[in-house]
Amino acid sequence: MEPREAARLLAQTQADARRSLDFRAPWVSLVAAVVALAGFGIVWLNVRNQHPFTGPSPASLVFFYALIALRIATVIFAYTRARTGISGDSVEVQRHEAAAMGAALLVWYVLLIAIASSAHHSTGFYWSLGLNGTLIALAAIWAGRSAIHKTWPQVALAAAVALIAAVGAIAGPRGMWLVNGVGLCVLLLADAAIGTWRRRGTQTHTVRTGA
Amino acid sequence: MTAEALDPLIHVPARLQIMAALATLPDGDQLSFKRLQDMIELTPGNLITHLRKLEEAGYLTTSKTGSGPASRTSVALTNDGRHALEIYATTLRGLLNGVSAVPAASGSHLDRHGAIPG
Repeated sequence: MEPREAARLLAQTQADARRSLDFRAPWVSLVAAVVALAGFGIVWLNVRNQHPFTGPSPASLVFFYALIALRIATVIFAYTRARTGISGDSVEVQRHEAAAMGAALLVWYVLLIAIASSAHHSTGFYWSLGLNGTLIALAAIWAGRSAIHKTWPQVALAAAVALIAAVGAIAGPRGMWLVNGVGLCVLLLADAAIGTWRRRGTQTHTVRTGA
Repeated sequence: MTAEALDPLIHVPARLQIMAALATLPDGDQLSFKRLQDMIELTPGNLITHLRKLEEAGYLTTSKTGSGPASRTSVALTNDGRHALEIYATTLRGLLNGVSAVPAASGSHLDRHGAIPG
């Protein structure tokens, strides 16, 4: 085997292995972008002319939660496929992380319920607290987890999600659906594009070093 | 420097692929035989032969859990194996720098993903 061929094989094998072992594939972000736009979009179309705000209709909520379920299912599918056959320390660490993140989310919801129960608020307040509060909590938990692993692009992504949710809270009970839908869609499309660009960069690197 | 400077145990396409694929896993993780086979597309017999040679050299460890059809064999790179692959990649880069206009390496080790730094 020629050194050039060996370099190409080494780089190509490692690039393929990393791609295969990483569940955060661009297509997962792409599905999430479509889900965000369609899910939040349908609810926004439903509530945008409500004066006063009374909340989304059951039909739009069924559609919204079905899309959320689709998003969760795609992540589980991608994760399971990527992690099949891997065992050892990182699997154990991820189990502990999942438990810690679940506990943190539970604590957050207890806090939200306490805030909601503290006084009488408008319907819009409860919806805003539930939706934007959940997004901010999820983003904060993911940012913390990513910071521990020093995966800074994920920290930036999580911070952007929190920022969008904060803007959504400012936009009010009607506007927040539009802000979150468009904001998350653009963010996730950018994430998918960056992921694709990085993967192509790896291929270019492979050719540069080995071909 | 010639190609003979490369570790002959690693400098075989199938074994280089095995080492490269396993190097992408974090320390302390193992990969199942089946997944490794899917990743580098070798026949089971071929893969076993190469794994045995690498294991004899102390570059990787294999462990078997369960018994019968439910048994599972896992493979992991040892510290010696990881170090050997680093030396191999460094030597390879030195050779490439000597024989062509391929851009120079910025370091003498694999990057954090185990790839040749470029």
